[in-house]
Amino acid sequence: MIAHLVQVAALLLAAPLVQGVLTTLRARLQGRPGPSPLQPYRTLRKLAHKGIVVPLDASLAFLSAPAIFASASVMLAWLVPVATTLRPIDAVAIALVAALGRFALVLAALDARSSFEGMAASRESAFAALAEAPLVLALASTTLAQTHALAAFCSAGAIFLVNLFETARIPIDNQETHYELTMIHEGLALEFAGRHLALVQYGAAVRQAALMLICALLLPGSGLATIAWFAALVAITPLVERTFAKVRLFEIPSLFALATLLALGGIAMRIPGIGTW
Amino acid sequence: MLPMLDVAFGPQPLALPFLAALALGAIGVGVAVASMRARVRDAALLAAFVAAMAALLLSQSVAAFMLSWEAMALISAFLVGTHAEQRYVRRALIAYAIVGQIGALCILAAFALLGAHAGSYDFAAIAASATTLAPGMRIAVALLAFVGFGSKAGLAPMHFWLPRAHPAAPAPASALLSGVMLAVALYGLALVGWSLAQPLPAAFGIGVTLIGAFGAVLGALYASVETDVKRLLAYSSVEQSGIAASVLGLAFAARAFDLPQLASLALLAFFFHVLVHAAFKSLLFLGAGRIVDATGTSDLEQLGGLMYTLRYSAPLIVLGGAAAAALPVTGGFAAEWLIFRGFIAALAAQHPALQIAALAAILALALAGGLALAAFAKFVGIGLLGRRRSEHVTAAERASAPFFGLAWFAGAIVVLGLVPDLALRVFGPIARTLAGVAPDPGGIAGLSRSLAIVPLLAAAATAWVARSRAIAWRPTWTCGSAVTRRAQYTATAFAKPLARIFAFALLPTRERTIERGDANFPSALRYETHLRYPIDEITRAASAAMQRWARRTRIVQGGRLRVYLAYAVIGACVLFWLAR
Repeated sequence: MIAHLVQVAALLLAAPLVQGVLTTLRARLQGRPGPSPLQPYRTLRKLAHKGIVVPLDASLAFLSAPAIFASASVMLAWLVPVATTLRPIDAVAIALVAALGRFALVLAALDARSSFEGMAASRESAFAALAEAPLVLALASTTLAQTHALAAFCSAGAIFLVNLFETARIPIDNQETHYELTMIHEGLALEFAGRHLALVQYGAAVRQAALMLICALLLPGSGLATIAWFAALVAITPLVERTFAKVRLFEIPSLFALATLLALGGIAMRIPGIGTW
Repeated sequence: MLPMLDVAFGPQPLALPFLAALALGAIGVGVAVASMRARVRDAALLAAFVAAMAALLLSQSVAAFMLSWEAMALISAFLVGTHAEQRYVRRALIAYAIVGQIGALCILAAFALLGAHAGSYDFAAIAASATTLAPGMRIAVALLAFVGFGSKAGLAPMHFWLPRAHPAAPAPASALLSGVMLAVALYGLALVGWSLAQPLPAAFGIGVTLIGAFGAVLGALYASVETDVKRLLAYSSVEQSGIAASVLGLAFAARAFDLPQLASLALLAFFFHVLVHAAFKSLLFLGAGRIVDATGTSDLEQLGGLMYTLRYSAPLIVLGGAAAAALPVTGGFAAEWLIFRGFIAALAAQHPALQIAALAAILALALAGGLALAAFAKFVGIGLLGRRRSEHVTAAERASAPFFGLAWFAGAIVVLGLVPDLALRVFGPIARTLAGVAPDPGGIAGLSRSLAIVPLLAAAATAWVARSRAIAWRPTWTCGSAVTRRAQYTATAFAKPLARIFAFALLPTRERTIERGDANFPSALRYETHLRYPIDEITRAASAAMQRWARRTRIVQGGRLRVYLAYAVIGACVLFWLAR
């Protein structure tokens, strides 16, 4: 119980740092000095002191969306099992709490009545529909007894691909652009300002940290090994962003197909009687 | 009196969850109809419809069941045909009647086989002699029941009539048709599969699971590309029906493999899903009725901007949409959680066929869930939010309207979402009676309560935002151009990525013609997109062929007296020959 509270507190406090480290590492790999890893905290503080701007005639759906998104992210952090124990992950709760945050942002984007946001909402919903199956399958595999490491790597690989989408990273999306031809995730947040934007950015950071921890939990070992895997994921993600090119929009489904296959493989290898052939 | 005509009624455990769903739906729809001041005829039809479904659920003999079934079918046909002056309603009505009657014949045949074997048409007697049924006969009964009840429940690919018939009815009738009658049809399947024709082979349960899972994906996919409010809801019903059937199939299969713990859990999830679906689908159909009444259209491309005009109903419709997408703090979440718990438990079952089916079902239901989220983001986001997309006139809603019916269902959704154990504590003993072991619903009760943190935190965070230094209401920034309502995304555009990704099942086509100007500087464009549903077309072609064949048999009904006399003579001769 105490370990759980400590872990939730650590996730909530360190989530912006994870985002900052990822941004700094990516910049270094691209040959730029990049911002300080603490920059997300400064940005959040700045945003918290600003006023908000709301589109004319926006409804409660827009006004409450950042709060719902951030609360769902906090809940997501709460649902991650403690890293020191080998507990099964509640696949359905995690997938649907993540879906709640997405639902709120998509509705806000459609309420903002601009075609940029509509485009982002449409793409986000379409690709999220494909991300659901690998997410649930990979997480559900933890309810079955661990067999060999390959199964764990398959499941974690599926989650890694899903996370690239969830956290808007190359090759699926690009955090650094507000370019409407390519954007998926960033487009949803275009109309938010001030504390609204602070909640969206903080929620996204917590969501990212929670999902990366889940990915680390799927990998073999527990306790310190999980923390080491987490650090490795933080190091690998910018490397992936640096190495690959962004794929074309309608090539993205094939990445999800790959993730689904990995997740199916990971879970099939653990199914008693089938995986132990 | 003939034994076949024994009419017996009485409660039995399997029917109780369905009676609960019926009561839930009937109360809410009744409140809505009362506050709408509907015509007496319509109200009486709805009341008769509810009574027929109640009678069906209480039936204890074949005659009682079939009489109630036909009464339900007939009254629902009247409800579907309320606006029979419109051509599409008449066509929907004919499709509904044909599919319904073919289904009823299949059910009757199944019951006749069972009754002939048992020598009695009482359900208790049939159930008692079920174990001695010949294997071939058992399969025949199971398949007939599956076609009969599955077609009524809208299981794919027998669903093509549903998205036409359900939206054709007035909103309160659609609410009962989709929210309750589909569940009643699945009750029939559960009745035959669980008690009248048991023990069924495991292959039957696995088949029901796989067909249900397929229907869930198909319904969700069609809902995600649909642009008509009521048809979208009907496709969502196809999806939900498929989900319910898949978990019912899991219960059948688990029983066949002698896994009472799993069967019990699957039954519990099935019951809970039926109840929750009755709540949110009724809410959504009543809400769609509010939208159509307020704006005069059910076309998503014409809607939008209803959050301030339908100020009471619209937030409740958003809640219904969240429940249909199985999002937390609604009953939909708890139902989905329990269903997945069943399938995940089945993965460890040591029966390869069941394990593979469970894996396929998890994959399909997760995909369906993702598609349903897209469908309801579109339903709510395009239908209610943003700016209105046409010149429809909407007066501000008054609190007295059918809003109270919606509020009843919304309350049920939230209560079932926060305290699912309220219902689970009632359904648990029923599942125990049927499966022999008490179901283990896992940590859903605690999880649901802890999820209440989300709305509380969100309220606190919204209050924090509201205390910002300054709140400025400004037009949306669209790169300097005027903010017009035409600039908003449409429902078709919203669904386009999905239509393209699933092009193999939707066959999208587009037509782009330049009406004025040349190819480089067009000043007027015409752009049309169409989708085709090949799977629906196959079943529709089959039913059309059946209709043509039926028309050909009309030759025997020539209308000439001499021919009928000849029939009578031939019939009498055959009878004498048989009785010799």
